[in-house]
Amino acid sequence: MKKSWKLLSVMMVVALFILAGCGNNGNNAGGSNAAAGEGGLAAIKERGKLQVGVKFDTKLFGLKDPSSGQVEGFDIDISKAIAKHILGDENAIELKEVTSKTRIPMLNNGEIDMVVATMTITEERKKEVDFSDVYFQAGQSLLVKKGSPVKGLADITKDSTVLGSKGSTSVKNIKEKVPGVTVLEFDNYQDAFTALKTGKGDALTTDDSILYGMAAQDPNYEVVGEPFTDEPYGIAVQKGNSEVVKAINDTLAELKSSGEYDKIYEKWIGKAPAK
Amino acid sequence: MDFAGAYSADNLKFLLDGLYVTLIVAFTAIILSFLLGCIIGVVRYAKVPVLSQISFVFVELIRNLPLLLIIFFMRFALPEVGIKLGLMTAAIAALTIFEGAMISEIVRGGLTSVDKGQIEAGRSSGLTGVQTLWHIVLPQGLRRMVPPLVSQFISLLKDTSLAVIISLAELMHNAGIIIGHGYNYTIPTLLLVALIYFTVNYLLSVLSKRLETKNA
Repeated sequence: MKKSWKLLSVMMVVALFILAGCGNNGNNAGGSNAAAGEGGLAAIKERGKLQVGVKFDTKLFGLKDPSSGQVEGFDIDISKAIAKHILGDENAIELKEVTSKTRIPMLNNGEIDMVVATMTITEERKKEVDFSDVYFQAGQSLLVKKGSPVKGLADITKDSTVLGSKGSTSVKNIKEKVPGVTVLEFDNYQDAFTALKTGKGDALTTDDSILYGMAAQDPNYEVVGEPFTDEPYGIAVQKGNSEVVKAINDTLAELKSSGEYDKIYEKWIGKAPAK
Repeated sequence: MDFAGAYSADNLKFLLDGLYVTLIVAFTAIILSFLLGCIIGVVRYAKVPVLSQISFVFVELIRNLPLLLIIFFMRFALPEVGIKLGLMTAAIAALTIFEGAMISEIVRGGLTSVDKGQIEAGRSSGLTGVQTLWHIVLPQGLRRMVPPLVSQFISLLKDTSLAVIISLAELMHNAGIIIGHGYNYTIPTLLLVALIYFTVNYLLSVLSKRLETKNA
């Protein structure tokens, strides 16, 4: 018994060293690839195809249609515009599915050139990736039944009941903005939305990008008021890839000046962006 | 809840596409992990020098790690050292290694459970060690392994759903996309997916019952 313990620990240590050795070699190789511009503009042009990481399960932004197999949404239309800007063809694009957990590893592996996937720009993430300018300004907002007296945050008082998702920052935010307000917390947004429909509260609060998705499912509900928090969505690229960031920012500027951005925004969100 | 919307022909077909991937991954991994498990199990049972020690470390290392970590490792750590696997290959590789370690213990246990007298009888009737293992110990041991093996295969089939983390388009993944289309699809979709997993796994255990009674 004692002998096998000793053996096990010795072998584990050896295995760890071997793994660590491989890891180091790999990292060096990966690092030099990135320096040579793995996801750089020249590489994209040479490939003739823009590889973009998008969500496949998020309504309005990136959602796969089971019947056509196509992925559609705001993020996809923005990606196509970038492909058109860089390669001259909006269909020279390959969409790869990412999730919040896989988008940064896939970007840094060089499997995708950029991430357009409802990704909020944060100081924390800026240490790992580079961000473009804001391409969608999300923020916490309110969903109400059409015709409700609640027209914005100002109409929420300490006598109101607001519905939210358990433990979320949005619940914390609304308690800070309206001290004393009653908040009912639910396990998920579906339960919260059902509660709103059955009249258990005056409004449902979370990021407006999610609320617009709910409003798109049931036209009896609408998003009211201006967002009262700041959740800027950015497009992420590998660190140090300034050429690609510039190409993205140029595309966004063109889209905004030509009015195309407003069209895409209205197509998915259902109203013009706030100026 | 919107059962009619959730169960549209397109959505049902989409779920079947997912089931197809689930089954391909599960059955490939079942075969490979069974082979791997048998090899390691026999090596450790027969105490083959060096190989037996390596197997011991492998089994202890793998079965004490979460499968989710191994899947993530295959998908994102291996490319760092230059090994690039497709999504399906990564999932199959992770399941094979993980379940293979589990199965090797079942195999070893099954073999150890065969009475020592059987081996002595084999050897004294002139069979070599390998012949004794193949003709005497394995047939008896295998029969005893069937119930735990089937449980392990059922676990494996359910564990394929963990590959949702790397966006493999299996059953749970496709269910997630359908749910993305409408919050009121959540319960109907998950109910149907539960029914599908149950049916497939129940068939698997019925099949094994048949196998057991036939061999008993």
